[in-house]
This record gives sequence, C-alpha cells and structure tokens, in this order.
Amino acid sequence: MSNPNPEFPKGPVGPASFDRPALSEARELIESQGLRFEPDFDDLVGLFESGRLVACGARAGYVLKMLAIAPSHQGTDALGGLVTKLILSAIFAGHTTVFVFTMPQNVASFEALNFRLLVTHGQTALLEHGPGLENYLASHAFQITQGHNGAVVINGNPFTLGHLHLVECAAKRVDRLYLFVVREDRSVFPFDVRFRLAQQATSHIRNVTVLDTSRYAVSAGTFPSYFLKRLDEVATAQMQIDLLLFAERIAPRFHIACRFVGQEPLCTTTAAYNKMMAEILEAHAIEWVELPRIEAGGLPISATRVRKAFATNDVETLRALVPPATLEFLQSPPARPIAERLRSKMEEA
Amino acid sequence: MQIRRKASAGTMQSSDLMVVVEPSDTLRVEIESTVKKQYEHLIRARISSTLEELKVSAGYIQVSDRGALDYAIAARIETAIRRASEE
Repeated sequence: MSNPNPEFPKGPVGPASFDRPALSEARELIESQGLRFEPDFDDLVGLFESGRLVACGARAGYVLKMLAIAPSHQGTDALGGLVTKLILSAIFAGHTTVFVFTMPQNVASFEALNFRLLVTHGQTALLEHGPGLENYLASHAFQITQGHNGAVVINGNPFTLGHLHLVECAAKRVDRLYLFVVREDRSVFPFDVRFRLAQQATSHIRNVTVLDTSRYAVSAGTFPSYFLKRLDEVATAQMQIDLLLFAERIAPRFHIACRFVGQEPLCTTTAAYNKMMAEILEAHAIEWVELPRIEAGGLPISATRVRKAFATNDVETLRALVPPATLEFLQSPPARPIAERLRSKMEEA
Repeated sequence: MQIRRKASAGTMQSSDLMVVVEPSDTLRVEIESTVKKQYEHLIRARISSTLEELKVSAGYIQVSDRGALDYAIAARIETAIRRASEE
C-alpha cells in the first residue's frame, strides 16, 4: 500500500506499542533491510503493531544503530517514535548528544528529526542530535588562538617519552600546538589519567594546549559497521570519517595548519592509516608532518613497551621510557589495579 | 516549582516535541527545531512564559521540536517540569 501523500505520514493501523523485541525477531527485521546485526548494544527498542514487530533500533553508548523499518511501515512516522525512545534512553544513561552512522541516502530522514550532518563520505554519513559539536567548540573558544597552529592526536595509554619528543618537536614548528587526547575509554588507563599525565608532562612547553577530543575522534570501537555491505571496507570507512571530521570540522576552528604524527616503522595498519591521513589532510590544505621516533635501548619507545614493563614492575625500563609525571603515577596506589588488569590481560594472551 | 530530577515528556513525531529537563544551577534552554529558522523566537517565548507561570528559575531544558503548535509546546514543557519536580 503506497502512501498517497508522503507529506502526511500514515497513522498507526492497529494498536501500537514499544517494547524490547526478542533478539531473533529483531535480527530478522534488521537483516531483511540489508543491514548487519551487531550483537553489542546497551538498549534495543522495537515498535509493535498488533503484536508484530514493525520497526526496531539499538543504542550502544551514545551511538544509535541498526534502525530498521518493515516495508509496510516505511513512509510512516515509525522512525520518529523509535528515535524518541532511543534518544531518551541515551539521555537517561547520561549521553546528552547522540550519534548515528548511516547511509548517505538516509541523511534527510534524520535531519527531519533534528539531527545535524557532521560528515559524509562514500557509503557513510555521520549525524548528531543534541548540543554536540557547536557546544564542544564553544566550550573551548577561550583556548583558540590565531596563527599557524598545529595538532597532535594521541591516546596516551600512558604518556611516554616518545609522545613528549613528538610534542616538543612539533611545538617548535608552530605558534600553538593543540595536543588532543582521545576521550573514548577503551584503554587500560582511564581518560582522566591519560589527560592529566599529558598535561603534566607538557606543562613546561609554553605553547602547548591539551584538549579532550570528546566524541570527535571516531575510533574503531565506536564505529558501527552494520550498514556497510562489505566488512573489509569497515576499517577504511572508519578512518576516513575520523580524518574528515578532523579536517572539516575541528581543524578550521582551531586554525590548525598542520598535523604531526610519529613515524610508524613496525605496524602496517598504522602505516596505511598515515598514508590515508596524508592524502585527506593535504586535500584540505592541512600539512601532514611525520617525525622520527626516539629510541631507548635500540628500540622505538612505544606505549605498548611501557605497559609491558609496568605489568612486570620493571622500574629500570620504565625510567627510560616515560617522563617523571607518568613514572610517579605508575608508582602510586591508584595505578595498582591497572597493573593487575594488564597482568591478567597478558596471561590471557 | 523546582526541577529535582531528570524527566521527559513528548515525542519526536511529526507536529510534536520532545522535552528533557534536568537540575542545574542556572536556567539554560536549548532548542532544536525543524522550523528553527522561522520560529525559534516564538518557541523560546512560549517556553519562557510557561516556565514563568510554573515559577521555574533554574534547570537545563533540552527541546527537540518537529513543528509543534504553541499549546503543545506549553503542555509538554509543563508535563516534563511536573514530572521532574516530584519527590
């Protein structure tokens, strides 16, 4: 049955209600719409009509995903109801701003629900609902200075002498260096620790400002792939969205003219990522600068090496790899549970 | 009335609005609307007058509107505030 006038959505045909659907019926509806079912989510909502599941969607943290509507109910306001439930669920879980990653052809449907488009590329579009990016930029407005500025983006898990070397070299080449610490908490060292150590270790460099990336660094951990046809495209799509978000939305507001990265002689994934970064940034007139890594004991310094030495309580090695601020934290009582977690992870591996 | 906890009212369906209120030291109203360009000033005015009537002077109020009429705006705001002020 087609809707004669799409301006006026059809009302519900039978008694409609929201409920949590069974995994199997949700999966069936999601897959029938050409999407992939991803089992990791915090909430799953279904719209039922006369007992039949006609629409469903899920939320993982602040990310909405797997929104699927049965063909019989496309062109109705099912999406509005579903998104209301998911956004409220996110807000009550503490996420005022909500993301949705979807196909570019769905952008208009989400814009009609007050989502704003952040970035779109290839088969992927990222939109947000809530105070979001504008609020983030406004809250950092007082730290923005004019000039030829640079950026370094790190996870800092934890902050090493390698990070410090990169920041020191980069800071010499720009008026102001923004050191972005990735907010997302999927690392062993929690965000507040990673952020504080980056601040303490760089406090002696006068033109460095340490910033929180908030939601605006899209990692493999938050990027859903349910809408992509091919799994081998997922990593590329995630990196492109992350880099475009930086190049189009973040960099211009902070007057960032170059981005610095540490050379990656070992890891091939990071090397591929760096090549893509160079291309995307240059297309946005942002210079991409790769700086050589420093070594300790004949090997490049990396956070991976630090975590290993920390787990085995190898203080001598740690001294050669981390700045005093990090060393002090690693030897403090709050660091003990982190060492425990690292040890159990290493045993698993 | 005092906003004591997080509460919501309404939906994001066409011609409706979703209101979420939560405690805050100051009064802050954030409006998203599909008709923001044309009607933000009227939406804001109606929200302000409703808050005044209810004697609400502090809170964080988030509104996502899809072209609701002004009495719907007043009703949704009032419902959310009443839910948030319950002990």
